[in-house]
Amino acid sequence: MADSLEDLERRIDELRVAVRQASMAGDRAAARDLRKKLRDAEGEWDAALERLAPAGRAGAQGAGRDGQPRESSQAGEAGGEDGAVAQEGAATRERAAAGDARLLPIREQVHQALTLLGVPSGQRLVLTVHEAFLGAAPPAARLTSLRRDEERSFRSAPYARPYYLCAALTYDLLAPARGILAVSTWPMDRRVIGPLSPRVNYLTAAIRVAEATLRVPAPTPAALRLLWRFAANIPGAAGTGRAAKPELVVKAAGAELDVHREADEAHRSAAADRARAQLDDAEQLFGSRLRVFPRSATG
Amino acid sequence: MHTTEARLDRIRGFAPPRPHNARTIAALTSNPGCARRAIMDAAGVDKARVAAHAGFRAPFGQSQFAITRGNAFEAQVKADGCAELLRLLREQLHLPIPEVSYDDLEYFGGERRSHEARHARTRALLGRAAASGDDAGTMFDHPMLTLEVGGRRVYLEPDLIAFRLRDRFHVVEIKSFAVIDGQADGGKVAAAVIQSAVYVLALRQLMEATAAAPPDIVADEVILVCPENFSNRPVAALLDVRKELTVLQRQLARLERIEDLLDTLPADLTFDLEADEAGVPRRPPGELAEAIRVVPARYAPECLSSCEMCFFCRDEAQGETGALGRDVRDDLGCVEYVPTALALARGEAEPSPEQAEAAAVLRLACRLRSESLPGGEGPPPAAGRWPGEEALGEAV
Amino acid sequence: MSTMTALARALAVEQGVAQPIATVRHVHISDRPLVFVPLALAGEANAPLAAMVGDDRSDPHLLVVAQPRNRDQRFAFAAELARIFVLYLELFFGAEETVPVGRGGEQRTRYADAPQLLVPNQGGIEFVALLGRSTRFRRAEGEWAVDPAVPVLGQWLSWLAGRAENPASSMLLAMTGALARHWASGQSAVEDQNLAALAGWIDPPEGMTGQQAAAAAEDPLTWPPAGPATDPTFDNEVLARLIENAARAEGDERAERRALRALTEALRGQIEPAWRLVWKSADLLRALPPGEHVARRWDDDKDAFSLYAAYLREGGAPQPRRDSAVTAARRLAWLERETVRYAAQRAHDDPLVMAEQRLAGEAFAGQVIAAEPGRVVGSGRGRKLRPLITVATTDPVAIEEGTRLVSPSRPGQNAVLVSAAPAGEGLTEAVLELSGGMGYGLIAPTGTIPEVGEQVCFATLADDWQPHGELPLPEDTPWTHGGPPVPYQPADEDVTEAWS
Repeated sequence: MADSLEDLERRIDELRVAVRQASMAGDRAAARDLRKKLRDAEGEWDAALERLAPAGRAGAQGAGRDGQPRESSQAGEAGGEDGAVAQEGAATRERAAAGDARLLPIREQVHQALTLLGVPSGQRLVLTVHEAFLGAAPPAARLTSLRRDEERSFRSAPYARPYYLCAALTYDLLAPARGILAVSTWPMDRRVIGPLSPRVNYLTAAIRVAEATLRVPAPTPAALRLLWRFAANIPGAAGTGRAAKPELVVKAAGAELDVHREADEAHRSAAADRARAQLDDAEQLFGSRLRVFPRSATG
Repeated sequence: MHTTEARLDRIRGFAPPRPHNARTIAALTSNPGCARRAIMDAAGVDKARVAAHAGFRAPFGQSQFAITRGNAFEAQVKADGCAELLRLLREQLHLPIPEVSYDDLEYFGGERRSHEARHARTRALLGRAAASGDDAGTMFDHPMLTLEVGGRRVYLEPDLIAFRLRDRFHVVEIKSFAVIDGQADGGKVAAAVIQSAVYVLALRQLMEATAAAPPDIVADEVILVCPENFSNRPVAALLDVRKELTVLQRQLARLERIEDLLDTLPADLTFDLEADEAGVPRRPPGELAEAIRVVPARYAPECLSSCEMCFFCRDEAQGETGALGRDVRDDLGCVEYVPTALALARGEAEPSPEQAEAAAVLRLACRLRSESLPGGEGPPPAAGRWPGEEALGEAV
Repeated sequence: MSTMTALARALAVEQGVAQPIATVRHVHISDRPLVFVPLALAGEANAPLAAMVGDDRSDPHLLVVAQPRNRDQRFAFAAELARIFVLYLELFFGAEETVPVGRGGEQRTRYADAPQLLVPNQGGIEFVALLGRSTRFRRAEGEWAVDPAVPVLGQWLSWLAGRAENPASSMLLAMTGALARHWASGQSAVEDQNLAALAGWIDPPEGMTGQQAAAAAEDPLTWPPAGPATDPTFDNEVLARLIENAARAEGDERAERRALRALTEALRGQIEPAWRLVWKSADLLRALPPGEHVARRWDDDKDAFSLYAAYLREGGAPQPRRDSAVTAARRLAWLERETVRYAAQRAHDDPLVMAEQRLAGEAFAGQVIAAEPGRVVGSGRGRKLRPLITVATTDPVAIEEGTRLVSPSRPGQNAVLVSAAPAGEGLTEAVLELSGGMGYGLIAPTGTIPEVGEQVCFATLADDWQPHGELPLPEDTPWTHGGPPVPYQPADEDVTEAWS
């Protein structure tokens, strides 16, 4: 039995008040319960509206309407986007609407981005690089279960696929580093994280991104923004002028890399040795969870 | 300790305990005379639920937009081996280039860990860093610290990185309120400073406990990281927390040990809500209110922004001049009750010797007000209109 | 806060209704104010969410930003607000008046009236300042172009926010502050920040005490906060979902319209009560008779407005982010002077305010019991008329001998305290030497000096008397009047400054 629209609207208002009261009173159970009822009522309201005007989904798809451009999919992206965001968003929608075959599975999209980067990287950087050089990135939410899915896939049929998206292991406990993705075809040394590795990997990524912008005939605004952010965070890479110069980024990143390289490599090769000695195949890719192998007696 | 735990458990009732954090500790020390809050916080009572069931729901809460923004900003500052934070530390505090090492103290061994495990790892890593020279580590993300509050151990989780610069440890606080043209909201900065002081104190206690280094290896300057102007670009500032540290230490020392407070309370005192299987509180609100009133409070308008019990205590404090603000109370010569102050002002009551001077000022003020208002002062109070009229003549 | 105000609060508690602390109005309330009630998204520096704005209480404009974090939508909001604001300003560019300058018969012109912006509370003023700051450096051309009206809005808002720091100015008023200058509620100053609660104390609904009205006002479900902050439970339970729906509806025109409508109605429900409350507060204040100096201070506002409008028309640069040391020092000195002037004018306009001075011993009132109207000092050509009067008062007198005093009824006249001696029964006899305001001869015309038996009041707090219509000295001209500060060229970085 469908309620009238007014009844539904009244119920929604009442439920909103009730939810807020429960929330203010700290009554979490009641709030949860009322919230669910509110969602149901809102769903019914949507359905009722659809029934009233069954004319189907009319209206333009795609690129920016006058005065109402939308923000791109990345929430909380750092400053510097400005008007370019609107253009980017429009371009994205246009591609989607045109049925452009960006129908690659998420894992392949991530694989391509990681390959460009060449080092274990955080989710955010992976998505940004994809957006910058490889087209529209998948939404961040789709990546959260990726490592787990890959591990399951590997364990059920080891090495069945040419590559797996895997973890990078912490040097001391050989456990998966939080939020970091790597490629299984990389050597073990590259897939361990020493204390200096986050910075070393960042500098290496900067060089790879800079080189990529030089390879591409016309770097996207996203790529230029990404390069600019690297330049801002590496001493000597920014130079003067408003745009970042790729050659300068390469040079400056290389200079700082020289400072850390030796120590970082020492940590990582020692950790890689231990991993190969103590972990089985799956653990070498996805990390050890249950057993803890301290680096030294004072772990 | 066991008995104290048991007594506090009894006071709290069946609900799970709500933990202390730096904010509640800071609030506690800003109103140390409030036994009600001290007991409730020590027992981990859910003050919002208790206040609501007693009939005085207070609209506290945090908007998810603020939470999301805060988390996003923190994640951004710490991303990629703390790339943006490193830039700030190098540019503004001259952190040497080789110092880039990063350790995650929250998520290790592949998963999130318990407070105890994190604290143990924090102690180990920070202790080692303090004792050794090279290879000591630079940035320590999500450390778990402890602090003795009222004789009990409290776990503190700075959402910050304690790191090493010029051979000292600095607490880093990442906040998402903006610094605009070099200036930020004074209240928010002050709150951040007090919170940071709590962390500095806890970190110093850790150093003392490990005996790895003297406590002053922890700097009394804190690094505050905020967004700059209207963007997401972070900017850092050094804050001196020495004053807050002194105040904090003094207040914590004076904070009566909870046992002493508990000794003054009946053994069967409880704030339990007697919730049924559905979680609905069944305790008669009047009875709950009575139980709350057994523990004395010390209400001031400042409570309205820092404690979920505020409306309850404010209602209790009706008629007290302190409810109008400490400055108003002072201006009324520290006379404690409104009817008393008015009676003295009207010359209807004899002041005690301590009240004499204040009473004279009040009488003069009353006369001047009458003279200056077109209709005089207004109608005299009707008898029995005001609760607490019996308080007339009570000494300050 | 003083004992007088504290006493008034105590009385309010007892009486159940706010008590007056002023007998006249000390702020100007325009016949045609622009009321502005903004809401901002939590957690951001200045992300407008919605605003209700207009100069007609029955016809408000409601502006809504569906994606508060979207830069383009923020600027669209700013552009729309600018359009409304500029239309309002133009009402005042049509009429001018002439004003005498000094005593030489010269004249100058200025606008006959000035705009007035009313916001609910201090948060509203900060919102205006921040919005001004975030828009005044933008440019209408180039890579990050915005609507040309936006930087103009920014400059005006920043200018208004600067003027609001001066308590003597009424161009941008927070209603909580304006009401609190005239009434003492029975709650604390902290609680007075809630406009609904304060208004509830001043004018409780039928059958309710001030306490009850204020308690009702604290429930965000019946009285949504007047902003710019929204209630967190509204954010979490209602707003988040509506914003998400609006984002998801992208590309489907009907769904977008529906989502925007739902969002607009929800926000209207949060803003409308505050809108009505601001108008009601203006009515409450208008009901008070204006103090004598209110018009004079509004003239200063008109002068400032006219100068700044001229400055902008000539292409004046936006205010720099931070004052130079010199400008800052000048501004501080100016603010201090204005604050003292304002305090003095209020005391002279209002016996209830003067009572505070009397309580502190800085002023006294009483009866003239003796006079020497013809007293002359000096000799030969240097002879001057210096009458003496003796005033008997029961007020405490804590004024040093030799201090200059002024009387509200004879502002042009100086009175120096010669002596103040107790005379038994709580009385003090004060002897004053008068000068000025008595003509130029050696005989004072009738009425120019107090006579025996007259009730008089003398105060140390005095307004530095300026001939009506004179502008401050050029070197005293603060930057808010358009200059002359160090010329400021907006840098490129200001234009491109990113928004989160």
